[in-house]
Amino acid sequence: MSSTSTGSLPPGAGGGGGGIGGSGVGGVGVRGWLSATSVSSSGKRIKKEMLELNADPPPDCSAGPKGDNLYHWVSTIIGPQGTPYEDGIFFLDIVFPCDYPFKPPKVTFKTRIYHCNVDSAGNLNLDILKDGWSPAMTISKVLLAIRSIITNPDPYNPESSSITQLYLTDRAKHDEIAAEWTRRFAR
Amino acid sequence: MLLSPGFRSAAAMAGWDEEALLFATVVVEDTPVRESRQHKRRRLRTPLSTTSTRKRAPRRKPAVSIPPVVLRLDDDDDDEEQTADRGGETTNKETEAAVAVDGAKQIDKQGSLSEKAPIKGLPCMDRLREELSCAICLEICFEPSTTPCGHSFCIKCLKSAANKCGKRCPKCRQLISNARSCTINTVLWNTVQLLFPEEVEARKSSSAVAATPPGGKTQSSSSEQNNSNTNISSRSIRRSAAQASSQVTERDTRSFRRRIGPSQSEDAAMALRLQREEFRVAFQGSREQQLRALRYARANLRAAASMTVHGRLRGRTT
Repeated sequence: MSSTSTGSLPPGAGGGGGGIGGSGVGGVGVRGWLSATSVSSSGKRIKKEMLELNADPPPDCSAGPKGDNLYHWVSTIIGPQGTPYEDGIFFLDIVFPCDYPFKPPKVTFKTRIYHCNVDSAGNLNLDILKDGWSPAMTISKVLLAIRSIITNPDPYNPESSSITQLYLTDRAKHDEIAAEWTRRFAR
Repeated sequence: MLLSPGFRSAAAMAGWDEEALLFATVVVEDTPVRESRQHKRRRLRTPLSTTSTRKRAPRRKPAVSIPPVVLRLDDDDDDEEQTADRGGETTNKETEAAVAVDGAKQIDKQGSLSEKAPIKGLPCMDRLREELSCAICLEICFEPSTTPCGHSFCIKCLKSAANKCGKRCPKCRQLISNARSCTINTVLWNTVQLLFPEEVEARKSSSAVAATPPGGKTQSSSSEQNNSNTNISSRSIRRSAAQASSQVTERDTRSFRRRIGPSQSEDAAMALRLQREEFRVAFQGSREQQLRALRYARANLRAAASMTVHGRLRGRTT
């Protein structure tokens, strides 16, 4: 999965010269992070979140730093049972701003998904990632919110109008296409 | 309650009963007897140990000639170490309340929270840690401030949240007042300081020294186990450092004096005299302080007694 990093990266996040941990997504590579990189408040908080997420991850979700950069994470969400997205594995890109947690992280879908709140570039229309953000929110709560919006799409805050139209008029057809996309892109 | 033996015996001589003694201690408690004695010890100690080999022989004499001082110092030392040890033990077996009391005692004794032994084996510690941590930085609340809706955050976190994300509570989105009017919730802050002294200390030091290495925090958490040991050793190190520095200054002044002229024996005699004077002043100070405290307490008691007598008389006449 090659990533195109959206936006500018925070200054403290760059190089990461003493990266001990490898490039593992979760679990294995995470350990080395404890001793590496920044001491800024955002870095501290991200480290804490990482530890908490590893200790107690939300159902069907995982997340962790992509490589040497603490501010750039990759996450996976497994499509919830009983939805057209069932058993799909969706990769997400998470970029933390340098004044995190006072500004929301940028979350984009890397895996294509047929969903009315996600546009073709993977941008997500979720209130809590925009104006509804609060610094008391954590990435695990964000992942839970994304998982719940996959289960229950919100057609009144759409990102893609054609999918919304189909969702509202012909739900069966919509589900069929969504399942087809999941089979094709998310497995 | 700490009562110096001198005070106790003086009270006994004055014919006070237990009640009067208690009353007096309430009055006296504010005088910083303990602290001043500690300072004095440092001052007293320096003359006992000199590096100059030539001066050692004549200098030892005064220490022997005034034995009570030396004895008292040693006593004090042992006492302190014992309390430190005891602190470690009680925390291992006893309840939170006992720990809190112990901590409070140590605080007013040493004037710093870092001396407190860590709390272990408390079943609700993890939940407490969760409850008392700030939702913004996810660490233990440092100087917590409580919003009108009842949620608490570090005052710094709350202020920057209000500045950067609008004046709403980060937890429940209720409107909060201006960031400038935030105040520290003192009860909560004291509780946090008593329960998590290590974290608070680490946070304090990291905010004081902006560029601390990230390894510092893990170190402090690992040293929790042998906290009392390190405390003792660090204290002794500090003491010896103080000693060394005062030695240096003393040597300087003495060499200066030597340059002025007097012969060696004269010099020694002068040193002896100076030292004696120093001892006398130091000793007198504590004695005087005790006397002053006694006098004060007595005056207070007298005033109270006369008031009651007055009241009784007035009651009789009317």
